[in-house]
Amino acid sequence: MGKGEFTALKGIDLAFGKGEFAGLIGPSGSGKTTLLNIVGSLDVPSDGEALVLGNSIGKLNAKQAAKLRKENLGFIFQSYNLLQVHTVYENVEFPLLLLNLSTSERKKMVTDALEWVGLTDKVKSKPPQLSGGECQRVAIARAMVKRPSLVLADEPTANLDAANSHNILKTMETLNRELNTTFLFATHDEKVINYLHRKIFLLDGMVDKDEIVKSN
Amino acid sequence: MRLAIKLAFRNLIGAGLRTWLNVIVLSFSYVVIIWMNGVMIGWEEQAKHDMTNWQIGGGQYWHQSYDPYDPFTITDSHAPIPKEFENEVARADMEPILIVQGTIYPEGRMQSIAIKGINPNQNIFSQPTHKLDTVIDGAIPAVIGAMMAKNMNIKKGDYVTVRWRDSNGTFDATDVFIVDIFASNVPAIEQGQIYIALDKLQEISLLQDHVTMLTFKDSEIERSQVEGWTLKTRDILTKSVDDLIKTKSTGLSIFYFILILLAMLAIFDTMVLSIFRRQKEIGTYIALGYTRKEVVGLFTVEGAMYSILAALVGAAYGLPFLGWQAKVGWTMPIDVSELGMAIAQTLYPVYSIGLVMSTILIVVLTTTVVSYWPSRKIAKMNPTEALRGKIQ
Repeated sequence: MGKGEFTALKGIDLAFGKGEFAGLIGPSGSGKTTLLNIVGSLDVPSDGEALVLGNSIGKLNAKQAAKLRKENLGFIFQSYNLLQVHTVYENVEFPLLLLNLSTSERKKMVTDALEWVGLTDKVKSKPPQLSGGECQRVAIARAMVKRPSLVLADEPTANLDAANSHNILKTMETLNRELNTTFLFATHDEKVINYLHRKIFLLDGMVDKDEIVKSN
Repeated sequence: MRLAIKLAFRNLIGAGLRTWLNVIVLSFSYVVIIWMNGVMIGWEEQAKHDMTNWQIGGGQYWHQSYDPYDPFTITDSHAPIPKEFENEVARADMEPILIVQGTIYPEGRMQSIAIKGINPNQNIFSQPTHKLDTVIDGAIPAVIGAMMAKNMNIKKGDYVTVRWRDSNGTFDATDVFIVDIFASNVPAIEQGQIYIALDKLQEISLLQDHVTMLTFKDSEIERSQVEGWTLKTRDILTKSVDDLIKTKSTGLSIFYFILILLAMLAIFDTMVLSIFRRQKEIGTYIALGYTRKEVVGLFTVEGAMYSILAALVGAAYGLPFLGWQAKVGWTMPIDVSELGMAIAQTLYPVYSIGLVMSTILIVVLTTTVVSYWPSRKIAKMNPTEALRGKIQ
């Protein structure tokens, strides 16, 4: 690895509306995960401006960025990133603990979220006891439990078989429709691409094509 | 903070065996440190108690020339009881002792000793001096300590020849009859000395009414200096014990340091490994709304919680053990009479709230620092790389 600079994104000019079900599509190294991380305030742009829910990502300090993520953003990762020693219930409850909600509020919201993903019978299980599909459904429940404005999903089906992938995607599409939550994917998986309502193709850090295939 | 504690507790319990191994090692440190300190405190209390009962009472006035560490001073260290003390002596609240240098000849061997003249009816010391009133034909009744008896091979009922010099410098000798042998934990009142009646010693040494020291019963009464006599309060006389315990405690603190160091090494190692292995988890915490500083705090709390769990586990088996030890004591595997210190063969540990709390505080603080140290690395982590577990 050299110390030379590498430009991951260049000339990106995109805007997303509420309730969109959009995806950043491209091969490895195209910049889709970098863009997703910037939108998720986990990274900052070295140049230009990224506005997320009225917040300029580059100008947020660590506390403000954490607040934005805590209150408004949900994350779904390729490898689920569940807390391994916590139960399904505790994993889904975690974002609500950060919001200082009461126990009864948390219980209702966690139960609702687990119902959305069909895992009410697994509340006491721990991630190592679950299948890959079940783990990703827990991750979706965790991302959705606080009813965020925006959910960012980075290759959410990469570790899943076809049946599980479709299952997961249908769940997310339903949540998008029913809760009007914006979903932004980073993917190169055909199965995911087929579900997207808006497809943004990235190539070498630039937008190659931006097409809306289905209106919300 | 409450959330960090809750999460840290969940993480530790979830980590299973690894957590409990660290907790058991750390709990062992707690119990051993408290027990050993308890033994030291118990020893100090026992030593001071025994010294008070057998040697120093509530404090003493020494003849100004008297130096117990210089035998050459003994010849001149005597004077009549000062007027200031006569009332207290009459009430038996102050006991005079005369010390005369002598030589004892047990089984034909020769040994220098101090002959101590003491009032047979005294009630300040625990020595069985009332036996000195026994009437023996042709010999002076004497009592000696068990350590002296063992070293000289003298038994109760033995006759032993004693020689001394009177105030005119004339040597004289007689037999003493051992009427009793007492056992104490204070070598200073046993080794190289015999006890006979004060008036008898004054008579044979031609030092009528003279004494070397006066021991008072009550240590609480304000005492003033008296010309020709040096006031030695109880605190001054027990300072040697304090110094000894302090020296021993310093030595033991090295042992505590090693003990805590081993426990801390285990925790440090666990934390370093934990931070390396749980990168994705760290990234996830940040993605879900934690700042990196908060994650550092979470891991620090997690490490510090080892010490809290260890205190609880230590209490579970330590309290019965420490309680049992306080009751039956700890009998030392060697013969302590050879050590020359005011130490009992069986020491009874004494524990205080202060001892327990300070031990817990030290261990918790040390564990917190040791946990914080490696956790600082999290503050420098790039969350996007942590999420992928790519930090080396």
